[in-house]
Amino acid sequence: MLDVIFIGLSLGSILLLVALGLAITYGAMGVINMAHGEMVMVGAYTTVMGALWLNLGFLASLPLAFVVTALLGWAIERVVVRRLYGRLLDTLLATWGVAILVQQAVRLEFGMSFFGLHIQGLGPGLQNVKVPEWMTGVAGIFGNQVNIYRLFIILVTLVLTLVTWLLMYRSEIGIQVRAIMRNPRMAAACGIDVQRINGLTFAYGSGLAGVAGVMMSGFKTVFPDMGTSMVVDGFMVVVVGGVGSLFGSVLSAGLLGQVNGGVASFTNDILARAVVFGLVILIIIVKPTGLFSFKGR
Amino acid sequence: MITTRNLDRAAYIIFIALILLAPLVLQEFWLNRIAKFLVFGILGVAVSICWGYGGILNLGQGLFFGAGAYMLAMSLKLASNTSLQQGSDQPVPDFMLWNAEPGAPTELCCISKVSFLWLPFQSQWFGVAMGVVLPIVLAFVLGSIVFRKRIAGVFVSVITLALVLLVRLLVIDAQPVTNGFNGLTDLGTFQVAGFEFEPYSRATYYLVAGFLALALVGGRLLVETRAGLILQAIRDDQNRARYLGFDVPVYQVFFFTVSAAISGIAGMLYVIVAEFASPTFMDLSFSITMVVWAALGGRSSLLGACIGALLINVVAATVSETQMFVEAWKAMIGLVFVLVVLFLPRGLAGFGQDIAEALSARRKPAAVAEAEGRTP
Repeated sequence: MLDVIFIGLSLGSILLLVALGLAITYGAMGVINMAHGEMVMVGAYTTVMGALWLNLGFLASLPLAFVVTALLGWAIERVVVRRLYGRLLDTLLATWGVAILVQQAVRLEFGMSFFGLHIQGLGPGLQNVKVPEWMTGVAGIFGNQVNIYRLFIILVTLVLTLVTWLLMYRSEIGIQVRAIMRNPRMAAACGIDVQRINGLTFAYGSGLAGVAGVMMSGFKTVFPDMGTSMVVDGFMVVVVGGVGSLFGSVLSAGLLGQVNGGVASFTNDILARAVVFGLVILIIIVKPTGLFSFKGR
Repeated sequence: MITTRNLDRAAYIIFIALILLAPLVLQEFWLNRIAKFLVFGILGVAVSICWGYGGILNLGQGLFFGAGAYMLAMSLKLASNTSLQQGSDQPVPDFMLWNAEPGAPTELCCISKVSFLWLPFQSQWFGVAMGVVLPIVLAFVLGSIVFRKRIAGVFVSVITLALVLLVRLLVIDAQPVTNGFNGLTDLGTFQVAGFEFEPYSRATYYLVAGFLALALVGGRLLVETRAGLILQAIRDDQNRARYLGFDVPVYQVFFFTVSAAISGIAGMLYVIVAEFASPTFMDLSFSITMVVWAALGGRSSLLGACIGALLINVVAATVSETQMFVEAWKAMIGLVFVLVVLFLPRGLAGFGQDIAEALSARRKPAAVAEAEGRTP
């Protein structure tokens, strides 16, 4: 029983890891960022490239991936998203285009492969990441064998959630973000630089995705398409949890993770995912605003 | 007199004439390819009705396409030579034998637990009927629930998206009756009164082209009816339409269902042309790709969405000679798509309409003078 709960917890933490960034960009800014999965992918590739070119260890690539994806996210906000505020469904379409661009940039090695130049670590193939040895074993908790790497993921997710919460609810900039969330025009009238804050928020959300990418690279193979399915999972978590509610996202990630792990324990992974999709549909139909949401204006 | 409306009609007529005349110059190989792309054109029309005119962004259009495709493919699978030659009274698909439990009888009724569902598909017309009925029922039930609950915008997109992925997983998981990931291949040919629609033949091309013309003209007439106008009013402001006394969900469900039926027919035509049905029809990327076609061509123009689908696929097919260009083309699509959303939100059709308006505006002084001479 306990091991099933633990599997659910670890699945939920992975969901949350991906969804945290989306909770920020979608929840706070109303941008449906379909390129979010690609940010995860870029984070994973940063780990691969860091190890190959800079001899960086696994842990050292965490901050690097954050910076790289945050910069990329900032650029995307500047060039594309900024022009689309208020056109919710159009952000979905435009960022889907961005997602394809980023994917192809990695697959074609930034176009270098046309000239016969190959960059080690990029390209269409699969990449692998070496995880430090002390993370690979199992540990005994309450008489159960528990994968240390999974524990580490849960820990990182906890820390990131806490940092995000502090940032959103206990900092100057968080107050500004939440003000924009409630009413962008009013916020602007109160002297908040909406464009600047939006840019920073988007960069932070993307950076979180980058960190998620590093964690993903440790237990999944890294390839250019890896982000596509993640963005779907991330969305479901955010929508089910309630747009704009960090607490809701945490809870819904936990719920969906437990359901996934629980169903998988007596059927198979495919059916478990199907059940999760079904549950998501039901929740949205019954409560379209999500489990926890506040009223925006 | 040149008016935008006349130009619009002329565009439809020219386009339909072009696709009907195309076989005169096309080789067999390209005939089949273009027929496939015309099926995608039909999908473009379906997306445009739902999204462009109804404002309902369905990210699960592939569900209806897949449903239509699987229903016909099941019938054609039973009509294939391999299925007929299993030495049983009724045809049995080959993959059912591969997936059967040891000792299971080689009969369609009981080779696996739910294989009896295949029994009525021995009749091809049952498959054809189900190919339209199933999408309609699915869309009607889903639409009734969703639109009655006044769910709108992104939430509809997330529900449809989750649903198509859910069904895709179920189809993959039900390996003994659906052949899972591999889908249904090695199909028999579609027959009407003894005439066989070979995938590479002109007859098949005209079958598809005819349905596309029908979808274009029928769809155009439908969105110009009173109901179609109300649908557009709902798209622009749902609450206002509601307060004006219109029963909003009825119109939404109706057009959502029409769009699903067209997608189902497209799915069946695709099976006839491409000779397979697979879970990839219900991939997320395929459903989004349909939206991309419609957005590029112009979401609120049926013809535009259809041309968008054709254009993207024809160019993709011509550059697909080398693997390198395929990947580069994908990147191009991504870039073009971003640019279209940013700078041409009405797509190519919107661009065309602007030109048409500029053209008719030049002639306007005469027309305006005439009108003013009459009115006072």
